[in-house]
Amino acid sequence: MKALLKAGVAVGDELPTVARKFRLEHFARADEKTIHTDVEAARREGMAEPVAIATHVGGLIFHQLRLSFGRGWVEGGTCSLTFRRPVAVTDFCEAQGVVTGREDLADGVRVACDVWIVNQTGQKVVVGTASCMLPRDAC
Amino acid sequence: MASQPARVAEDAHGRRATFEEIEVGKVLGEMDWVVTDEMIDLQCEMDQDYDEWYSVASPWGGRIAPPQIQYRPPRWLLSRTYNVRGLFYKWEMENIKPILPNVTLHVVCRVVDKYVKNEREFVVYEAEATDPEGATVFRTRRTHVLDFVKRSAPRAATGIDSGIKPERV
Repeated sequence: MKALLKAGVAVGDELPTVARKFRLEHFARADEKTIHTDVEAARREGMAEPVAIATHVGGLIFHQLRLSFGRGWVEGGTCSLTFRRPVAVTDFCEAQGVVTGREDLADGVRVACDVWIVNQTGQKVVVGTASCMLPRDAC
Repeated sequence: MASQPARVAEDAHGRRATFEEIEVGKVLGEMDWVVTDEMIDLQCEMDQDYDEWYSVASPWGGRIAPPQIQYRPPRWLLSRTYNVRGLFYKWEMENIKPILPNVTLHVVCRVVDKYVKNEREFVVYEAEATDPEGATVFRTRRTHVLDFVKRSAPRAATGIDSGIKPERV
């Protein structure tokens, strides 16, 4: 697991983007009819169409944080996400992010980021913050 | 004439929990949870996120799980007490140690808040997992909206989906 962001991480650095075009099949669980796979199940809950499983959508950001920080995400990483609006099961989503701060600590440097996901129309469907620990010699 | 929106009152697994029934401070229970190699494979496949550490080996002596695999046990514990379908609204997570396969994690979960915002009802719960040595592996705080339909709508509909799911990845 190699971290892309290493020496010289600075405020304003952009995180690598991670994108995915979802399909309904991504959310199937055996033969269950859920709000993620079945139009009628979604409508019974007041939604017009099936919606993506939020954890799969958020997974784009976790993928992004792994790529960006490697061990610093797995061990000492934090993340706080808000799912602002439902994502349709056929939407295109892209995780984006930017470094917003760095704090020197006794055991390394904590790098803070804003992270978000946009859909195919540019709407921010997920917003949040994250932080990861990096060894001091990597910063 | 279009039918009026209604919130789901019951589904195939029984009556939905109401906002009034949710008790802040209630311990939702605890469980032992062992992540298997198959669960790690499935998580990587679901997220289309592959890495040598997740699939082959890591500095911890073997493969590790993607941190987000921790989503499920707290959700299962919520559903064991309250049949909440709704939608996932907020996810806070703290990855303290890597999640290793074939290690028993002890997960404890409780309701920490509930509130109404924009005419919708929310429940907030927290969980912590510890390893066999008692070290904390992860902490998480979740917010779930009970219904997509606003609370002004009557709770009268019958749902198909349920908050109660098979407890598997």
